[in-house]
Amino acid sequence: VAAVGGGGLQGYVVQRLLLAVPVLVGVSILVFAVMHLSPGDPAAIMLGAQATREDIERLHRDLGLDRALPVQYGRWISRVLQGDLGRSIPLGREVLPEVLVRFKATLILTAGALAVALVIGVPAGIVSATRQYTWLDRLSMGVAVTGVSLPVFWTGIMLIIVFSLTLRWLPSAGMYSPYGGNLADLGWHLVLPAVTLGTASAAAIARMTRSAVLEIVRQDFVRSARAKGLGERAVVGRHVLKNALNPIVTVLGIQVGTLLGGAILTETVFSWPGLGSMMVRAIQARDYPLVQGGVLLIATTFVLVNLLVDLLYAVFDPRIRYE
Amino acid sequence: MRTRRSALTALALVLLALVTAASAAPPKDAMVIGLLAEPVTMDPPQITDLNSTRVIKRMFEGLTAQELGSYKIVPGLAQSWDISKDGLTYTFKLRPNVKFHDGTALTAEAVRFCFERQMNDKGPYYATGTYPYVKGFLGNVAGVEVVDPLTVQIKLKAPLTPFLQYLAHHSLYIYSPEALKKFGKDIVKNPVGTGPFKLETWEPGVKVVLARNDQYWGGAPKIRQAIYVPIIEAQARLAAIKTGEIDLTMDVPPDSLAELRKDPNVVVAETNSSAVWYVTLNTRHPILKDRRVRQALNYAVNKEAIIRDILKDTAIVARGPMSPVYGPYYEERLQKYPHDLEKARALLKEAGYAGGFDLTFLVPESGSGMQSPVEMATVIQANLGQVGVRAKIQTMEWGAYLKKYLEAPDMAEMSWNPSIGDPDHMMYMLLSSDRFPPAFNAGFYQNDKVDDLLRKGRTTIDEKTRVPLYKEAQKLVVEDAPWIFVDHGKQVIIHRKRVQAFKLHPNFDLVLTQVWLQ
Repeated sequence: VAAVGGGGLQGYVVQRLLLAVPVLVGVSILVFAVMHLSPGDPAAIMLGAQATREDIERLHRDLGLDRALPVQYGRWISRVLQGDLGRSIPLGREVLPEVLVRFKATLILTAGALAVALVIGVPAGIVSATRQYTWLDRLSMGVAVTGVSLPVFWTGIMLIIVFSLTLRWLPSAGMYSPYGGNLADLGWHLVLPAVTLGTASAAAIARMTRSAVLEIVRQDFVRSARAKGLGERAVVGRHVLKNALNPIVTVLGIQVGTLLGGAILTETVFSWPGLGSMMVRAIQARDYPLVQGGVLLIATTFVLVNLLVDLLYAVFDPRIRYE
Repeated sequence: MRTRRSALTALALVLLALVTAASAAPPKDAMVIGLLAEPVTMDPPQITDLNSTRVIKRMFEGLTAQELGSYKIVPGLAQSWDISKDGLTYTFKLRPNVKFHDGTALTAEAVRFCFERQMNDKGPYYATGTYPYVKGFLGNVAGVEVVDPLTVQIKLKAPLTPFLQYLAHHSLYIYSPEALKKFGKDIVKNPVGTGPFKLETWEPGVKVVLARNDQYWGGAPKIRQAIYVPIIEAQARLAAIKTGEIDLTMDVPPDSLAELRKDPNVVVAETNSSAVWYVTLNTRHPILKDRRVRQALNYAVNKEAIIRDILKDTAIVARGPMSPVYGPYYEERLQKYPHDLEKARALLKEAGYAGGFDLTFLVPESGSGMQSPVEMATVIQANLGQVGVRAKIQTMEWGAYLKKYLEAPDMAEMSWNPSIGDPDHMMYMLLSSDRFPPAFNAGFYQNDKVDDLLRKGRTTIDEKTRVPLYKEAQKLVVEDAPWIFVDHGKQVIIHRKRVQAFKLHPNFDLVLTQVWLQ
């Protein structure tokens, strides 16, 4: 972690947050440019075959799409800075409350997936590191490689076919049943999407855990611990894992980003009412304000998660200081 | 050991809770409909997609309506009307004692208000939305006048026969002016109409719940609630209908239909629709401008094989632009283009292209009403290859595709499912030279005789004189072959056995007023 001026932890956090501003401005320019320069016209998509020249022109005028791009960007970003993300083009709803509601659902899914990833990934990594080159190691790493390679939409559809269509154990779509809405109902609906989304991350975490643990296991203090007569469980649990945590936390931070991205496909497969499934539809409709608002929210989250990971380093490794 | 055992107990309890949640029986008077996506907005004049109209048509009504199961115009909020001899003045008598869901009364003033909001871009409520269809449907309206509280008069600039059909289009539905004044731009999530159902809750992305309107003028519906859930993935819709999680859905994978037909718990309801799937041919292209070449392409394509093998019989062969759903207007005696490679080769030879030629074939990856665009394009490409026409497929995402489609491609796939039941909305919209891009006559098809017939058809009110105009136009169009006519998709709805009295409507609407649950 680079030292960035005085002021201790507080100053460090403030400076990191200030550094996030140019990042977010860059993101805003990039997403605006990509959306507006890619072919497609929200008015034409809305109107389809019934389009008349007059209606298209009137829509462009009413939506402000007839202005030059820099002017459109200027108008949008100046409103964003005042906390107004505008209104979605076909939805007619305000973007900010819309993306926040959806974001909540995405966070629930991401948390579920992260839990799946940790519960599978960390033990698998430890087992294959402590039993290096045994069949158990080969099996869990084989599964891990497969897990990383499976596309989310394929896993999702397979799980639907097996667990919803054939076995009828779990629902195939949505966050709540149409009639209900309690916590058990949510948990029941969360299983398949969380497993789908979490599998790939579990594999990544398992591999990182394995190499981190392997590196620590070879160090002198571990040998000393063993020489002291500590049981294997205590050695791994108390000494090895604690020291292997930093690389694992790093990969976790990256995984949060991957999960937020992967959520787009998972949410579409399972009709999960999150930001991802909404963004897919918004991109298809060239819903500029909604896509731009959604991307800004995801970028902000990613910046904050990265900061959090950097702060966690010091918790797990007291040698690290923020200046 | 103890902690492990208690963890196991907890896990078992959680699983038990989940299974209990799973086995909750569906209520007897609430029906769940699995849509392809959630509604976009609930403000009628702003809606452009089928998922939204399938929901809001339960809450709102227009002055006129379509009879359930056909395109016949019947009274809606207007119980009768009178058209002046010159076809310019329409006088509507409104139903008395009709109330909006907020308790305010339906009046002639409310009708005027709703039309005025869209038409007058200087009006006080214009900025409460954007109106995609205003020029298309109200561009010909000169003014709306209140004659008395229950009589409203609409004056047209020029006679326009489909106008009564326009009034049954969702963009001209009538909503509570008081609600609009109260909610402003947020009217999109606060619908207040006169229909048989009213909005109970809308959880974005999760569900829309409509409740029965007990004060409905036409008699309250039989079901208490209609619950709409979005299920984006076709396999997930299939799973949900098979397990009974939902009561009604559509667009399941075509491969699964045979199995569903044998399932004793579900009903597969299907009917012809007015949709048409075609390949636009650029009539200004140096080779395609020769009519014989375009006819040859029609002979070369094996439509039966496409329908049988790709669409699994969820469509019928298109002989021309209009499907049999148009009743009297449909011309049965059209020249056919059966799959005939010899004839195709002969026509190409006659035109001087025996050695074939190259074309670019624009294809969307998916899209509204596009069936299986890529698989169908592959078959068409192979068919054309058999007569020496080398079509190079170029696939694109739908939004980008729509733009490219209107930039004079050599040949490009398209489909159209008119929401208006008038032949004008098919023929004039897609084949008149008044409708060159950015409107949807993307192949620049122009035949002065056809233009003449279609313009006459727009202003002829008497059906007896009108029918021959469209029959003649269809004959000319099919002879000219500005498209490769491929298929008319069927409308396929799957519902659970307990859903009774469900009836399909040609424009893909899901009418629930008469439905009851066993």
